[in-house]
Amino acid sequence: MTLGQGTRSGILADRMVDANSGTAISDEAAGQALAFLAEMSPDLRGAAILDSAGAVLAASDRPERWGEDVAALLEVADRAGGEPVEQIHIATEQGEVFAIRHAGLAAVAVTERFALASLLFFDMRSVLRDLASGNGGGEALL
Amino acid sequence: MTPSKPHRVLLDRVSGYADEAAAYMRRRRVARRPFARVYYRGGRGADHAVDSVSGGELFVAAGRLIEVAGKKPKQ
Repeated sequence: MTLGQGTRSGILADRMVDANSGTAISDEAAGQALAFLAEMSPDLRGAAILDSAGAVLAASDRPERWGEDVAALLEVADRAGGEPVEQIHIATEQGEVFAIRHAGLAAVAVTERFALASLLFFDMRSVLRDLASGNGGGEALL
Repeated sequence: MTPSKPHRVLLDRVSGYADEAAAYMRRRRVARRPFARVYYRGGRGADHAVDSVSGGELFVAAGRLIEVAGKKPKQ
């Protein structure tokens, strides 16, 4: 499923669970946050961080594809429960997908199978919280 | 007969725990089935079965992300 630009913005902007962050986040800070996440999670294959408008702030590869596919995942998840989701964990034979919305941002990570879910969610949440507060992703954890 | 040295007792106990943990992980790898779980504000969670409509859509969306991420880069 491919979503148009306008549709994608609406999905993320309207339904953010914690859309209370007014801080502008630079791509550089988001990139650092992603690097921190990759360093903390040895099982990580790829990840992306998106802002409240659905724009990709940082992605491990092919940001436009990450933007489309994350929007599709969040749309499907929101529709499945009839309300905005906060976390998603999908485990398949090929790998696992984790998504979290926090502080007006969204982070999605793809890992090897059997990654430690609670640790990954903790790291993702910490990174988003730091980014939203302007501390830079992950720096406050060190 | 002399009792075992204290450090050997400790080593036996630790390796016993490690064996149990390894066996648990082996069973988990074999028995674990694909799943899709979503969590809402307040900690409420919901499972979506693979053969349900919503579960199917979630797995398709996840599959696309797994494809984008590709394989883990070699260290």
